[in-house]
Amino acid sequence: MLTPLVLGALAVALAGPLPRALSRWTGLRRTPSAAMLLWQSTALAAVLAALGAGLSLATDRLWLAPVAVGDVVVAALAGLVTVVVAARLLLSGHRTGTALRRMRRAHRARVDLVARTDGGVSVLEHDLPVAYCVPGMTGSRIVVSRPTLTRLAPEELAAVLEHERSHLRARHDLVLEAFAVLHRAFPRWVASGSARREVEVLVEVLADRAACRTGDRRALVSALLELADSPAPAGALGSAGSLAARVEVLRDTRPHRAQALLVLALAAAILALPTLLVVLPWLAGLR
Amino acid sequence: MGELEQAVLDALWDADGPSSGREVHACLEGRDLAYTTVMTVLDRLVAKDVVVRERDGRAFRYAPRLGRAAMTAELMREALEATGADRDQALVSFVGEASAEDLAALRRALADLT
Repeated sequence: MLTPLVLGALAVALAGPLPRALSRWTGLRRTPSAAMLLWQSTALAAVLAALGAGLSLATDRLWLAPVAVGDVVVAALAGLVTVVVAARLLLSGHRTGTALRRMRRAHRARVDLVARTDGGVSVLEHDLPVAYCVPGMTGSRIVVSRPTLTRLAPEELAAVLEHERSHLRARHDLVLEAFAVLHRAFPRWVASGSARREVEVLVEVLADRAACRTGDRRALVSALLELADSPAPAGALGSAGSLAARVEVLRDTRPHRAQALLVLALAAAILALPTLLVVLPWLAGLR
Repeated sequence: MGELEQAVLDALWDADGPSSGREVHACLEGRDLAYTTVMTVLDRLVAKDVVVRERDGRAFRYAPRLGRAAMTAELMREALEATGADRDQALVSFVGEASAEDLAALRRALADLT
């Protein structure tokens, strides 16, 4: 009886209180790679714990004779909840994935038709300065508009392009997609919204870091200012509020090795400890 | 193939009105293309919903669904919408909308780095 209880409590803790606490810990962004792993392991562990709680409750009731009618009812309900959780995730994954890929494919096809390529970058003729990337398995694109090329100094442009290339290299789109899927599947009674917002900030912080590694930090900050300060049309909202967070991390050049190690250890523990201490004994007990 | 599609679409954009396959082929004569190749590309552009065709007697006439500037504007709108907060981030933008505090933080950082 202990296994489903522990896993259930764990699922609740990992789905609500922990993500909420992590999203309030803004210092976490100073170790973005470790923080990204922690968010991913928390999300994965929450899903696994929720599925494990349902399954172990069902097996708890059915594996030991004598099995009463009440046990069968409880087991059936637990099984049903587990199936619903899994189905919501799969459905959300399928819907989000196909919609994203269709939109990206259509966008990329039209970019290729209307943009001129210049040094591996697609250039759109438009008055508004933009820089973005279109991720994709079968071919990604970095797109800028003409004012981005003319207004930015060469080292600023290099920083912008390196930022975008790092998004594509590290497949940040897949991470964003996973958290979008989670948020779509459980929008309310799980703190999936704050997890998703924080992960969106972290991919930008990571790409900023990558751009600073090969280039000049000052060029990146002045490029951010130049592109952020251009009037965007009404309704065209970006990830609001994340910019100040990015700047704060960019200003901080100190290494945070102790924090990185701590966060990595926490990320590993969240996945490993429940598996070793709860799930493996439960599975062993089923034989 | 992509470069050829771009050339055919450019020819349609530069034309005065809907063009026949022969006219498009004539526009691209410097490229030494077979007429059937031009028709294949036109059909492909129709399939992509970038070009619309209308029947004219026994043949078709082709025209871009949107002008060059309108198609660029459509892409820009998509790019700005798709990168917003609480969107699925189909496209990943360098910088989203900036608040006054964001800009102030950027200016302070830039001043400190100088």
